[in-house]
Amino acid sequence: MDYLLWLEETPFSTWMRESGPAFFSSLIFHSIGMGFVVGVHVAINLRILGVAPRIPLSLMRRFFPVLWVGLVVVFLSGALLLIAYPAKALTNPVFYLKLTAVLGALFITRSLAKGVLQDPGYDAGRAPRGARVLAALSLMLWAGAVTSGRLLAYTYNILMASHQY
Amino acid sequence: MEALLDFSQRTGIYDFMNSAWGWPAVETLHFLGLSLLIGTVGLFDLRMLGLAKGIPMSALHRLVPWGIAGYALNVMTGFMFVSSAPDQYLFNPAFQTKLALMAIAGINVLVFYRFQFDPVKRAGAGASAPRGAKVAAAVSLGCWIGVIVCGRLITYYRPPYYWCFWC
Repeated sequence: MDYLLWLEETPFSTWMRESGPAFFSSLIFHSIGMGFVVGVHVAINLRILGVAPRIPLSLMRRFFPVLWVGLVVVFLSGALLLIAYPAKALTNPVFYLKLTAVLGALFITRSLAKGVLQDPGYDAGRAPRGARVLAALSLMLWAGAVTSGRLLAYTYNILMASHQY
Repeated sequence: MEALLDFSQRTGIYDFMNSAWGWPAVETLHFLGLSLLIGTVGLFDLRMLGLAKGIPMSALHRLVPWGIAGYALNVMTGFMFVSSAPDQYLFNPAFQTKLALMAIAGINVLVFYRFQFDPVKRAGAGASAPRGAKVAAAVSLGCWIGVIVCGRLITYYRPPYYWCFWC
């Protein structure tokens, strides 16, 4: 708890909390970034599951730049939100649930990117069963990440390390 | 405003939204609907703007019904928020701007399908979209990103302390 106390008393953390625009713009960037990150995954995974079968599957990689930009925005804005209220998230198990869901889903994406998404042999029609299972799992993990992210605003026990009673 | 609240109370929406997990559960669905829209309509817009050439626009368009499903989900969940606390929305400049952007996006959809969709549908895999379609794509992306920004800003303004200046 000591380092949380130290972090929230740094001038930057105080500014993130007390300047309305700094905090709200981080929230806004986090929402837009997350919309694109989850959105690109929706498209790729739906295609793997057999929706829009005329899209050459390997070309879905061309949306990866959107994913990369989205991920950078999400992690940077997420870090800023974390700096504003470090104890709020870091003492809440739901935060670790969200992190696990995101990392698990990204791990799946990496394995799909090295598999069906780079082999033009799978361009036409439905992807093999293993890839479809991973795609469905990825969609569930993203739904879990969004759910736990939203719940972070409702489930915290401690808002600030300096204000515990 | 009273009619909205009355409807919400009579149908049980109000009680559900004010139950322990009602509001956050509906917010979560609202974000999932948004992600469906961005992942389908948003990526189709980006393709028309020149990203991911090689994917035929007509093939990518087959994802759009999922975006429409997300939109429908968000109209329903959005109505659940507004009808359960109308005073927090109807006088809120962020909400008013959000509705205006949705109206522009709606007109843009009509114009796009009436005048630009045919050439887009017939274009080859590596082709660029015609200029008009690119404009429609940019308007669509701009409006939906603006809608997310406004949605987030709704909680920044807490009427009646922040009445909008043009109403």
